[in-house]
Amino acid sequence: MRPLPVADPGIPDDRSATRYLWWLGKQQLGTISLGVAFGIMWMVSGALLPIVLGNGIDAVAVQRDPEALAWWAGAFILLALVQTLSGVARHRNAVFNFLSGSFRTVQATIKRTNDLGATLPKRMATGEVVAIGASDTSHIGNALDITARFSGAVITVVTVAIILLSASLKLGLVVILGVPVALLIIGTLVKPMHQRQVAYRHQQGELTGRAVDIVSGLRVLRGIGGELVFSQRFREESQRLRESGVHAAKVTSLLEAAQMLVPGLFMTLVTWLGAREVIAGAITPGELVSFYGVAIFLVVPLRTFGEALDKFTRGHVAASRVLKVLRLQPEINDPLDPVPLPSIPATLVDVKSGLTIRPGIMTALVTDRPEDAAEIADRLGRYTDGEVTLGGVSLAEATRAAVRERILVSDNNSRLFTGVLREELDPRATGDEERIMEAIHTASAGEIIDALPEGLDAWVAERGREFSGGQQQRLRLARALMSDAPTLILVEPTSAVDAHTEARIASRLAGFRAGKTTLITTTSPLVLDQSAWVAYAEDGKVIAEGTHKELLASEPRYRAVVTREED
Amino acid sequence: MARVALPIADGPEVRRYARQLMRLHARPMTAVVVLHGLAAVAGMGAPVLLGMIIDAVSSDEGAQLSTVDNIALGLAAFVVVQAVLTRFAAMASARMGERVLADLREDFVDRVLAIPLSTVERAGTGDLVTRTSRDVNQIAHSVRRGVPETLIAIVTIVLTAGALALFTPKLALPCLVGAPIIIFATRWYLRRATPAYLRENATNSELLDGLTETVEGARTTEAYGAGERRIARTMHDLKENYRAERATLRLRSIFWPMADMGFQIPVAATLLVGGWFFIEGWVTGGQVVTAVFLVQQLIEPVDRLLMWLDNLQVAGASLARLIGVSLVPDDRSPTGVKPTSEQLSATDVRYSYVDGRDVLHGVDLTIAPGERLAMVGPSGAGKSTLGRLLAGIDGPRVGEVTVGDAPLVELPLDELRGHVALVTQEHHIFLGTLRENLMLASPSASDAKLREALAAVAALDWVEDLPEGLDTVLGGGKHEVSPAQAQQLALARLVLADPHTLVLDEATSLIDPRAARDLERSLAAVLEGRTVIAIAHRLFSAHDADRVAVVEDGKIAELGSHHELVAANGSYAALWRSWQA
Repeated sequence: MRPLPVADPGIPDDRSATRYLWWLGKQQLGTISLGVAFGIMWMVSGALLPIVLGNGIDAVAVQRDPEALAWWAGAFILLALVQTLSGVARHRNAVFNFLSGSFRTVQATIKRTNDLGATLPKRMATGEVVAIGASDTSHIGNALDITARFSGAVITVVTVAIILLSASLKLGLVVILGVPVALLIIGTLVKPMHQRQVAYRHQQGELTGRAVDIVSGLRVLRGIGGELVFSQRFREESQRLRESGVHAAKVTSLLEAAQMLVPGLFMTLVTWLGAREVIAGAITPGELVSFYGVAIFLVVPLRTFGEALDKFTRGHVAASRVLKVLRLQPEINDPLDPVPLPSIPATLVDVKSGLTIRPGIMTALVTDRPEDAAEIADRLGRYTDGEVTLGGVSLAEATRAAVRERILVSDNNSRLFTGVLREELDPRATGDEERIMEAIHTASAGEIIDALPEGLDAWVAERGREFSGGQQQRLRLARALMSDAPTLILVEPTSAVDAHTEARIASRLAGFRAGKTTLITTTSPLVLDQSAWVAYAEDGKVIAEGTHKELLASEPRYRAVVTREED
Repeated sequence: MARVALPIADGPEVRRYARQLMRLHARPMTAVVVLHGLAAVAGMGAPVLLGMIIDAVSSDEGAQLSTVDNIALGLAAFVVVQAVLTRFAAMASARMGERVLADLREDFVDRVLAIPLSTVERAGTGDLVTRTSRDVNQIAHSVRRGVPETLIAIVTIVLTAGALALFTPKLALPCLVGAPIIIFATRWYLRRATPAYLRENATNSELLDGLTETVEGARTTEAYGAGERRIARTMHDLKENYRAERATLRLRSIFWPMADMGFQIPVAATLLVGGWFFIEGWVTGGQVVTAVFLVQQLIEPVDRLLMWLDNLQVAGASLARLIGVSLVPDDRSPTGVKPTSEQLSATDVRYSYVDGRDVLHGVDLTIAPGERLAMVGPSGAGKSTLGRLLAGIDGPRVGEVTVGDAPLVELPLDELRGHVALVTQEHHIFLGTLRENLMLASPSASDAKLREALAAVAALDWVEDLPEGLDTVLGGGKHEVSPAQAQQLALARLVLADPHTLVLDEATSLIDPRAARDLERSLAAVLEGRTVIAIAHRLFSAHDADRVAVVEDGKIAELGSHHELVAANGSYAALWRSWQA
């Protein structure tokens, strides 16, 4: 087997779900063909086993020839060996097809996620994208996987029909007419069964959600009370799920019975007609045995048809869900003729708010409404469209990559990632040990690192969830500082730390960023006092500027926002 | 804060639990076995009748068409009976499975709800969430499918073997030639399968975690130009997943052919021996045919049994994690002691998370009823730990924390809640109506009482504005409340719980300080008339308190009113001045 994943998954055909599946199939044509070939070999040899048995019976019952019997028994073992080996070969190719298809889908999704960047969370709920990894990739893989057995089933039914036709027209017709009828009867039950199962699974998901809700709020429940109420409510929902399970079983059990009844009656018909043919001398008793065995074996291709139909349908639905993501386009696009941004430190201006950020110093922005600060930061970082210039060049005229290189926005929604702490703090591996330690010191995150037995080499698990909110904020700050971005925009970087820590961070920030441009949005006097320049905005417009002390003295509205004085 | 892991039950414990569960459901289980047994018996009609047909058509005096017709009718009857019985048996299985499953998950939730408070605070919810979702679902799959399928398989195997012995006693033995192969192959496989499949599942979750993280962090990745890192992580996860998949594939590639041959060799052996016996005149042709097909009918249940054995092993591991939850020893030892007053005091309190490394070094503190105490100090100084001890969640290693001379850890949980509550800024909103979200603090509260509590935290206005008022369903994508509203509801719960002392931890607040100001008004209403110990984050809280305790290096370094401390010119004064600018 070739190693997976492939380095380059190729460019998916995103015109339609069918074309997407077709494209996946084309990428692995070799193993799909092998799977189909082995699938046919496997199932046809399975159908031939009873024929060999019947010949063995004839060898004794009609010819009374022990040597022929031994030969037929040997042939049976040999054919069984062929069946099992081709079965394994089929399975191996099918697994490869499954993995190859689902891996390519994951790779394409990740690539698209990267291309979309900040646009993705605006356009789609995380859950929707994650569902691709949780179930859609499997459904797509299954659709590719089943091609092998499906082909086997088709050829097997044809083979069996030919064998029976050559023995007797009536028996042949039973197969040719019986298979579609059997499929129809079972098919009518499959849909209601699916509906009830989907309803059941949905309800099961809700109950799991309820239990997870209890677990997540356990601190509250154990701290304040309410265990009995919640236990009672869970019990009620659990009982409803139980009833829904029994309700679903009403159809499932019918289907199970039908899957026994339909092939069973089929077998009865073949046996009955066959027995009459034996009496008429048209076939031998051994052939009757063969046909009985073949009729029983037909259950296998019949079930495969049902399964294939189901898997192709689900694969198709899954592919269209994947395409929904693959077809998304980033909100901010590069201009056709990009202009380079100035390479030397330059003034950054947000025209709408009138905010001017001078190069090389630490500016603070205070807004009366917190949303405004976030909005201005998003415009400055070109996460949303806006009239923003750097050294007189409009950001809209430069590429997105050029802007990202020049301006970094770090807000409290930015994420820590799972991985080695050192690499997560310095994702571009730009700094040496000394610089990292300096950034950590500035963010007052030293004690967090000290508490980890492996220090900077510690493994950050679960996206940093084991750190408290305040610790995560300091680590995020250290990471933003490590980037050494020419312009760094920090949105409320100390909102979750205590006053002691905030004071320490504030006193170190300007020194670390010396000579570079920094904007910090905050209302904390501890931070404002350390900023070289402060801008105060109301209703999204800058109405006063100066140092913290000057503004405190001259601007009562500013004073009201940053201290606690009531108006 | 040091994390503690939740325990996992051992083998005997799991078996005891499983036995108890079986005893509890003995009757439906018997019904399932009997019904499936009858269906299996009906299933044996076909090979037996086929044998009769063969004997009839090959008899010397020549067969009557009517004989064949009658036997074929019998065949049809058996098929119909088998199908009908299967239907009822499947229903009975489903009923039993669903009932056992409901018992299991309800029992689990009750166990979760009884986990000692200190463990809840320290274990984190990650592990519990995994147990609640993944382990419960794993068991659900096994109980709904695995347990009945295994039972059916065993019953069918036993009855088919019985039919072989009954109808074709002379041909019952050849089928045993497959047994050594199957036993060997299965033992080989089972020893390796469970760890290999667990590894496969683990790599799948890892892949999903990575994907979630990449999607959630899409903006961060763009900001740092770290797309290559995300791709590298995905490639790594895919490679690991591929390795694990290949490992299980290898096991199947060896096990399946062995098992298949173990199934088919007996068929050939029965044919061979049967043919020989027939030529010798010891058995009829029909008996040979019956024996061959009965042996073939054994394949399916044996195969099914083997398939589910592995699944049951995994379910056993999940069950061990579920019942392990209740193995946490209780952390409270009620002695019946009654508090004589509402005065909270700590005497020479020391505490350590790791042996030999105290984080509190002899703290003495007495808080008068009705007093406001603010604790300030750098992170890691021990403020939160001291707060947890003062709230009675943990007991000190040395020294004691008492309310009215009664040690807090000697009060039962229900009583403790009436005296002191720890308020973190974690304000979980439960799925359910607003009323339900409030009533957990006071199950008997009337609507008037709830409104009163909402009014106290200034939340009544927006609640009344909701179209369904108290009956509005919160969470789960229904009606999302803002973080500030969530916090108001958390505060309203406190009003309803009505403890006389509150330990307030602001440490994890991510709320914008300006939004917090409105909340503070709500909070003030809650604090009214209570003793308050605030682990202060913002210096406002310290300024307004009756006394301020500066905690540094596990000790109380400064203690006094705001003005006293400012006058004392210590570390608090320095901080205050820089803040005041």
